[in-house]
Amino acid sequence: MAASEGMYDVALKPKLLRSLLREYVPDERHPFSNPSELSYVVSTVKTHNLLSEWASQPVEQNVMDAWKSAVDSWVHRLLTLASSNLPDKRWAGICLLGLTCQECSSERFLSSYAVWLDKLLSLVQPPVVSNFVKAASCASLSDMFTRLSGFSNAKKDGSSQATRVIQPALKLLNEDSSAVVLVGIAHYSYVEAAIVSKIMSGKCCASVLKKLGYGLSLLPKSRGDEDSWSLMMDKILLYINSQLNDAFQGLEEEARSAQTMRALLPSGKEPPPPLSGLAASERTSDLSTRRPERLLGSRISTLMRCCCDMLTSSYPVMVPVPVCGLIALAGRVLMVDGSLSSSSYSFMTTLKQEFICSEIPLLQLYSLEILTAVVKALSSQLLPHAAGIVQLLNEYLRTCRFPDLKIKAYSIVKVLLMSMGIGIAIHISQDIVSNVFIDLELPVGEKDGKSSGVQTKSHAGLLSESSQRKRKHSIMARSSQEQPAHVHLEVENTHSLTPISVKIAALEALEALLTMGGSLRSESWRANVDHLLITVATNACKGGWSKEERNIFLSGDPTPTWADFQLTALRALLASLLSPGRGRPSHLALGLELFRRGMQETGTKLGEYCGHALLALEVLIHPRALPLLDLHSSVNDFKFLSHKSRDTVYPSVDRQIPKYQAGTLGKGPAEPESEDDDLNENWLGNDDESEIQVTERQQNAHYTTDPSLDELPSVKVATTDNVPEKNETTVSASGPNDKSMADADDNMSESPHFRNITNQRTGALESVELEPVKSDVISEVGRGSTSTSAQHELETKNDGFTTIVERISAMFESDNEVSNDSLPDIVDGDPDSD
Amino acid sequence: MEAEVVLASSPTDAGVSCWDLHTGAEHLRYKSCASSPHGLASVAGRFLASSQLRDRKSSSGSILYWSWNKPQVEVRSFPAEPIKALVSNSQGTYIAGGGVSGDIYFWEVATGKLLKKWHAHYRAVSCLVFNDDQSLLISGSEDGCVRVWSLFLIFDDARREEARHLFEYSFHEHSLRVTDVKTGYGGSNAIIVSASEDRTCKVWSLSRGKLLRNIVFPSIVDAISLDPGEHVFYAGSRDGKIYIAALNSPVTSNSNYGLHIIGSLSEHSKAVTCLASSADGFLLVSGSEDGMIRVWDTRTRNITRIFRHTKGTAQGPVNNVLVIRQPQNLNPRTSANSPVSPLRRHGLTLPPPLEKFANSPDENAHAKVFIGPQTTSNHLLDSSYISVQTMEAQIKELQQQGSSAAAEVDIERLKSEQLRSVQMIQQWKKMYENLHQFCVTELLDGTHTESANGPNL
Repeated sequence: MAASEGMYDVALKPKLLRSLLREYVPDERHPFSNPSELSYVVSTVKTHNLLSEWASQPVEQNVMDAWKSAVDSWVHRLLTLASSNLPDKRWAGICLLGLTCQECSSERFLSSYAVWLDKLLSLVQPPVVSNFVKAASCASLSDMFTRLSGFSNAKKDGSSQATRVIQPALKLLNEDSSAVVLVGIAHYSYVEAAIVSKIMSGKCCASVLKKLGYGLSLLPKSRGDEDSWSLMMDKILLYINSQLNDAFQGLEEEARSAQTMRALLPSGKEPPPPLSGLAASERTSDLSTRRPERLLGSRISTLMRCCCDMLTSSYPVMVPVPVCGLIALAGRVLMVDGSLSSSSYSFMTTLKQEFICSEIPLLQLYSLEILTAVVKALSSQLLPHAAGIVQLLNEYLRTCRFPDLKIKAYSIVKVLLMSMGIGIAIHISQDIVSNVFIDLELPVGEKDGKSSGVQTKSHAGLLSESSQRKRKHSIMARSSQEQPAHVHLEVENTHSLTPISVKIAALEALEALLTMGGSLRSESWRANVDHLLITVATNACKGGWSKEERNIFLSGDPTPTWADFQLTALRALLASLLSPGRGRPSHLALGLELFRRGMQETGTKLGEYCGHALLALEVLIHPRALPLLDLHSSVNDFKFLSHKSRDTVYPSVDRQIPKYQAGTLGKGPAEPESEDDDLNENWLGNDDESEIQVTERQQNAHYTTDPSLDELPSVKVATTDNVPEKNETTVSASGPNDKSMADADDNMSESPHFRNITNQRTGALESVELEPVKSDVISEVGRGSTSTSAQHELETKNDGFTTIVERISAMFESDNEVSNDSLPDIVDGDPDSD
Repeated sequence: MEAEVVLASSPTDAGVSCWDLHTGAEHLRYKSCASSPHGLASVAGRFLASSQLRDRKSSSGSILYWSWNKPQVEVRSFPAEPIKALVSNSQGTYIAGGGVSGDIYFWEVATGKLLKKWHAHYRAVSCLVFNDDQSLLISGSEDGCVRVWSLFLIFDDARREEARHLFEYSFHEHSLRVTDVKTGYGGSNAIIVSASEDRTCKVWSLSRGKLLRNIVFPSIVDAISLDPGEHVFYAGSRDGKIYIAALNSPVTSNSNYGLHIIGSLSEHSKAVTCLASSADGFLLVSGSEDGMIRVWDTRTRNITRIFRHTKGTAQGPVNNVLVIRQPQNLNPRTSANSPVSPLRRHGLTLPPPLEKFANSPDENAHAKVFIGPQTTSNHLLDSSYISVQTMEAQIKELQQQGSSAAAEVDIERLKSEQLRSVQMIQQWKKMYENLHQFCVTELLDGTHTESANGPNL
């Protein structure tokens, strides 16, 4: 067994562990020189599960014993290391103890965590000076509690133990804040006070503030009841609001503060006590502030982030979210633009205005975060409040000029669209489109006048509208003199200067819109958007495909690259092509070309996406499902025609059609043909109007030919259209009643008679009988549309014939107009007249 | 495959019966329910709600809740008027009810608040359905009208005033009362199928807002069920047959029922009143006026199972069937065994009753929304352990040798070395002293002995 399993052998593990102990883990005697050896130890232990003391198959007892003793000596070594008086060895011991907490078997953990806890606790207490050791101990402690939280029976014990941790942890907080938040802490108010005063003191760096905010948001969890959560939320919101009162004094309408207050606190309700720890911090911070606004910014943003954390992290019970208050607060911040309001020149020094203005973007960013968190946390429950958020975002997007903030706002719009569905998409599409157009406007030089004539005009319209709005806004805000000039400058410049990241966000919002509501009431904007997207995508891909590689040395912050932009543009393009519109997507060919080219970029995300896009678009080219609409429009035609010609015969159209069709039904698969028809119609349709014509004409034919068995649509038209002529001459031949004929001859009152005949006929008979006619027609078409054939002597024939020629010529993509002009056309006339 | 259950209720007071769809085992029977047509709903699988038929004397309506593990009614609500159609959105956040006056009531489940009420139709609302992304509500009425409502618009005061009408679409083509409405997949491209007493079913396009297909049936259709793949739809009619009508499937049949009707399932002696489809679309469940619930295999078109709703000889008609995924705490015995199931403790007791009247706008300004406990898996992820990361970071810091913390460690090590060296020095000193002492003593002793010896010599 041992020999066969090689490196998976259980017997190997104790040996490995011992050799690790021997070779790499530092001991008392030898100096500890190379700390990187520790990471080797860690990775080996983790890869081979050296501490797990667990085997998938039962193994001999002596192996397990050996393993057990090896782990025993490992733990022993760590404990001696941890109490060593050399700091580096102590540090090594602590780190490995943390690893042990994570990796060792449950039995061992439960039996010995108390000992380890004592050890670690002693290491965070005062006599220890090294921050390194403290940080490592805190990390290990945190791991220990994490593991402990997995055992339900030990939880209680754990939390009682944890209370012992708080005091040292708090002390630590005051010295070194890399201390990690310990979950499951009692001693609630102390901690709250400590964290709050820390936040307020403004002496921490950003990352620490973030952790503190998170810690604060976790606090209610330690109690885990509904009240403490909402109390904390209310406290924070009220505090933020009161801070905003100071900050925005003179920058907004006076009523705004009271308004928000009302939303936060129902009238007559007792306000909750302020955040504990505030009083103490006010005292200390007042002394030390050189820049109160900076402090304000960091305080409010930390608290706002704390709100977001509270909203998004899980909580054991149902909690009430003060939605209206949150939205009102966010709205209050978002609507401030830093310009002075009329009444307040006296209060506000220019200096203060400058300070506040420098902080506003940060505050707005976090307000947007709050909105995001609200949208995420509430999901479907957001419905009653969605309107407020949408309105806020629309107004904000119109005025906002900071790229980061715009991106955030767009992302909220996107999430809203995706979560609230088409119900919202119908109503906000226009706003999104006009905002997106401003951000995606192409540089002037790249517009070619020919293809985007209409386009430019509409853009101009949108633009002037928006700039008007801006101007109006600025006038309303009674800004200082340089503002209008600034607005003007902005309108001219933003478009070429819009950063890629904003464009990406805008494209994503547009993609979401197309996905959700691209075909619902989209007539007004759809064509423009489709055009915009194909232009953006073409331009993005013009200069070839950029490589995806990122600068790995600048890792961390993923700034979007040109490749990202290309990918987003293509995604939006696919949505625009796939989302069904009024007709065939007009830029399909160009889009396909782009995707085909993109697919050649093998091994990139873009290539992958283009492959997916081509797969999705294939269905568009070769539709598989039967069009529901097809038959409907034929029904419509029929209804229309029949109303004209034989209302008296068939009082109820609805009843009559099915009967009629039921009679002629069931002669075989007519579907492939109908697909062909559809395809043809798609390819022929260039703009809406001509498409409708073609559709109607073909569907006339289609309707009548559908039941028959023949191979080609054109042929079938021939057969059916030939019928009337035979009607006049021979009654026995009386073919399937043709709607166009019925339409043409107003006196076709004998159609019920035809119907009966049709019902009796068999498909075989029909095809046999009409075979020669087919060849006639085809040969004629070959000769040309204008020449009337000699074989057809009768005048009445012309009517039917015209349609044949016309249809066939349409099939061959010859010019419709010519045949329409040269020959009298009856089919087009009537459907269009209504 | 996940277990699915069939729920059935009737207009006579025969309760709600419940069977396992695949095994046929009967579960609990929920008592005292006389449901109106389309008036039985499972609220996101959490509990069961049903609007009740009331005698004409009472002006208010009645909506009852049952939790899965108790047969008795747990919560009773009394809306302002009798509610006919009742539907809940898929997340179980809202319940919409259609009243006999044509009003639609929209409640929030968690608080029981009547969020909105609007006049939707001229006559009673007979059926209600949410579209697939739950953002639209589609209602059918006895006035023959089918209307599509955007819930967003309903709640947007500003836009509502601008809009000419509250509905998105209003389809008037049915000439008699609408008996059922269903909608399919596809977001804005979905289709809506409606059935009416004018013996037609009509297929509407949501994106275009117009009639796509009109299908005339030999008899009045009271219930529709869409095949999950929307290949066909099933129409349960009053002549006891379930017709299969084509949506996307080729019209190949030589059926003599009518255009687009490609076949039928028939065994019922009496009218089919309600239909439901299993999640995979292979099973179709139909309820009939003869009190039977039949399960059909849609591939073979045979009956695979028959349930009897009423006990004994009574022949109460069935007017609602639902097929839902089996709720977690359906079985009363298992839930009785575990004294406090975690679900109950987490506030999954039934919500408060639905309110009769809407709140004042002032109260709405402070509306709070409850977010429930997210069900995070208890699985501990490796990423939640931090000591190894911390260690790696510290190792890096140590190797850089630049940071103050690393220097601190060095300093401390040096200090302790210095301490040791000092001790060593002390020791050496001491030893030296000792030696010196010793030597001196030796010497002195030697001279002493010498001197002592000297005189002796």
